[in-house]
Amino acid sequence: MTEREHLAMASVPAQSWGELYDPKQALKTGTIFKDLNLPFFAAEDLAIPVVPAGEAGKDPKQREREELLGKIQEVSFYLDDLRLYLDTHPEESEGLSELKKALKQRKQLLKEFAVSFYPLTFDCLAGIYEEEPERQCFCWEKGPAPWEGACV
Amino acid sequence: MWIYEKRLQYPVKITKTCPKTAQLIISQYGGPDGELSASMRYLSQRYTMPVKAVGGLLTDIGTEELSHMEIICSMVYQLTKNLTVEEAKAGGFDAYYIDHTAGIWPQAASAMPFTAKEFQSKGDAVTDLTEDLAAEQKARTVYDNLLRMIPDPEIREPLKFLRAREIVHFQRFGEALEKTKETLDRKNFYYFNPEFDKQMVTAPAAAEAGEK
Repeated sequence: MTEREHLAMASVPAQSWGELYDPKQALKTGTIFKDLNLPFFAAEDLAIPVVPAGEAGKDPKQREREELLGKIQEVSFYLDDLRLYLDTHPEESEGLSELKKALKQRKQLLKEFAVSFYPLTFDCLAGIYEEEPERQCFCWEKGPAPWEGACV
Repeated sequence: MWIYEKRLQYPVKITKTCPKTAQLIISQYGGPDGELSASMRYLSQRYTMPVKAVGGLLTDIGTEELSHMEIICSMVYQLTKNLTVEEAKAGGFDAYYIDHTAGIWPQAASAMPFTAKEFQSKGDAVTDLTEDLAAEQKARTVYDNLLRMIPDPEIREPLKFLRAREIVHFQRFGEALEKTKETLDRKNFYYFNPEFDKQMVTAPAAAEAGEK
């Protein structure tokens, strides 16, 4: 038994900082940490092709919106996973520097999305009014409901 | 205080109606090891945690579980939004249809309603964190079972994502338990209850308690 292990008590080794996936791959994998990617054999890709739903006829504005929302999803998930790591490793300097970078990116992307499309949070309305103080739009009701799969 | 962000944590885009699959997946909404149960468990346990960082972790994971609940509900919704009565009958969704039409209601795959009986808030940090470790494993097994049964890639991708999160959360709860142990009697972890016998807790939790 190591010093941290004791009889009659569960024990999980603390994770050390390691290699990370980029934000796009991290979202697809479900974690930013390569060390925590532990897939299930029956979850491996089946030979059924994913047919992109109506990509060809898609309006360019909607395509642009989906692309920007995709980036927000990626950087936000990167932050979600990083945050939980920092909750148990608050002194991890590499984690902190990743956090600072990603927070800045997310802030910028949220503002960009609000101004071009619609606000994702109520606070994002501030970004819209900052850019266009004369805008007469409450805007909070704009945009599809998230559960509609953005196919509206 | 919570703030809503108008997007899903992981995208869901299901193009085919399938009430049979909806009835299986709905278990992760209102079932015994579902996301709603997970969220309520962690958000209930956090108040009395002796280590502040552990209360913070429970808040963050409990919040993430709410976003997982939203992913599951979106899947159930998209699988049933264009449902016909014939499809409901053929897919074994007729009983649900009678009670809820195509509304989204928290129940298990077995039709058992959501209940707080499925989780604990025991007022003992070691007990609660050990339950949390088990809860993540139980949810992972549900996702494993769903992945064995559902072939459609549109449905599998979000399920794979959610399964991966259970493993990450397990790791974090393990680390939270290690932090909690540091505040206990090293020779006998069961000598006192760190949530109730506050005067016996050693630093850093004691130092934190003084801050308040």
